[in-house]
Amino acid sequence: MRSLIRGAQEASPKSGARRDLRVDFFRGIALFCIFIDHVPGNWLGLLTLRNIALCDATEAFVLLAGYAAGLAYGATLDRRGFTFTAASLLRRVGTLYVAHIFLLVVFTAQVGFSAAALDTTAYLDELHLDVFAEQPYQALLQALLLRFQPAFLDILPLYIVLLLLLIPASPLLRHPAVLLGLSGAGYLVVRLLDLNLPGWTGGGWFFNPLAWQLLFFAGCALGYVPRAAGRRGTPPAVPFHPLLAAAAGLVLVVGAAAMLIAYADADSFAGLPENVALVLADVDKTGLHPFRLVSILALAYLLGHLVPFDAGWVRSRVAAPFVLMGQHGLPVFCTGIFLSFLGRLALEQAEGWLMQLAVNLAGLAVLVGVGAIAAWYRLREQAPVQRPAADALPDVAPSSTTPVQ
Amino acid sequence: MSWLRRLLLLGVLLVPVGATAAGPPACGAPMELLDPGAPLPTVARAVTAGALRILVVGSASVLGPGTSGQAAGWPARLQALILARRPGLKLELRVRGARGATATDTAGMLREELARKPADLVLWQTGTVEAARGLEVDEMVEALHGGLDQLKAAGAGAVLIDPQFSRFLRANANVDAYREALRLVAAAHGVPLFRRYEVMRHWAETDTIDLERAPRNARTAVTDRLNDCLAQAIAMLLRAAVAEARAATP
Repeated sequence: MRSLIRGAQEASPKSGARRDLRVDFFRGIALFCIFIDHVPGNWLGLLTLRNIALCDATEAFVLLAGYAAGLAYGATLDRRGFTFTAASLLRRVGTLYVAHIFLLVVFTAQVGFSAAALDTTAYLDELHLDVFAEQPYQALLQALLLRFQPAFLDILPLYIVLLLLLIPASPLLRHPAVLLGLSGAGYLVVRLLDLNLPGWTGGGWFFNPLAWQLLFFAGCALGYVPRAAGRRGTPPAVPFHPLLAAAAGLVLVVGAAAMLIAYADADSFAGLPENVALVLADVDKTGLHPFRLVSILALAYLLGHLVPFDAGWVRSRVAAPFVLMGQHGLPVFCTGIFLSFLGRLALEQAEGWLMQLAVNLAGLAVLVGVGAIAAWYRLREQAPVQRPAADALPDVAPSSTTPVQ
Repeated sequence: MSWLRRLLLLGVLLVPVGATAAGPPACGAPMELLDPGAPLPTVARAVTAGALRILVVGSASVLGPGTSGQAAGWPARLQALILARRPGLKLELRVRGARGATATDTAGMLREELARKPADLVLWQTGTVEAARGLEVDEMVEALHGGLDQLKAAGAGAVLIDPQFSRFLRANANVDAYREALRLVAAAHGVPLFRRYEVMRHWAETDTIDLERAPRNARTAVTDRLNDCLAQAIAMLLRAAVAEARAATP
């Protein structure tokens, strides 16, 4: 399996830079956690980040997606220029959009299936879930416009808008201070004025892209590797400083304490000087509340300095499945969302420990399998093709269906 | 303070619910799920004074859909249970609800009803419609903040009630996000939360009451039993909250 991992052995011959496998590893973990958290009633859900921190796998995913985008599209920008970068971003957005619509169709089929089984008048309000039964054409139109996003299908639309925003912002990758300044100002304006993209059912998107862009662009700035004299240099990681590390640790400890107190029985609230519950109740995920933003940045900062760049375990057999998943984020993410539908259907039928085990093991196995297939395909695609001399077929011209890269 | 609360609750649990009730109290709902976590002094005072006005607001489930009739819905059953325990009490129970009502809608109903006539206790069921439609959690939280502040100013006690459990809702909606918000709002305002979702999930998992798996011809009977058991559980929570209030003010 480890032979499929990109950058596991030596520095890339082209650029001289080594791939940061830590990023791939943590991205893989985040992808698996997104699968887990998308299966309500999954016992493993009690062990994921959202229980002990003010942020969860979504924040980690967006930050690392930004990192990957900064790395990949930053390199494209330096090698091929703006127009080509914009075009490849658009192509990526197209892929994501089609993937989202496919998942939407699967979700709708699942809700329809479950709603037919829920033949009881005692659940009148719950049947509102089945919007396609009530207003099929309107629901379809709104879904295509991304204004209707069913539960658990709200991350891809966010990702689509973030990549669209990156098109005009990509030249600013070379000027991270300007990029983050504009992005931060946008975040403040959006939060202060309570702006959001409109949703169909009233209110806005579950994940407001106009606020979440700050986390994404922070990832982009971390991932972009400037080219120095033809050779790519090292990424501008935030340097270690004891005070900053202490502050980050404090943020995480306070966040964990707040979450754990909130989980204890309500009696504990009475003993607190300030009303922790009132504060916690107002920490919104939609607009990426500053607490959530600071928590994920603190976590990333500490992990980035605690785990050394060439830590042995990141290259070990145990970490390999997650590194593979992280290196092929898009297919693994989409498969994870698809599998979570199956997992929910399975847990709807039986919720014992045997089913729990089956759902999680099968989920992990399939996700790793998807990562492995994607890696294998990529290796084969890049390997020089040995042609028989008699082969007179013309080369395939690059087109929208046959990728150039 | 916590051990005292548990002791009080235990005392309450050991007393039989009503003359007609058979089997374990509150249909075997786990005791810790019926811990109110906050006292209800307004209810304690009203009961001592001999007259209690309860207002129930919420979405479809407060109207007892699927039962054999209005009298079998949980609000009517709750009224009957309280009166069976306290025959002399002047009890008045009003129900306002509508299918598809959000927290913003029910907060509006609350204002209208309270303007017509005050209440000592409001049972506010919410979260189901928000979860089913995927509405903004924030909006629900804002509506609850506003409504609970108003109730406090009006001198009425409140109990929040979270969504009904169903495997359907769990599988198809992000219901945990809304339940979590309800829990935090209840804690922030110091009002009890009736964890209907957890209680019903316990009943479903222990095969006590499992509406989703009940055979078609038994559904009305099972829905009646569900509503009766919910009323018993709420009555237990209310009594524990009243006992706490009495213990706090001798």
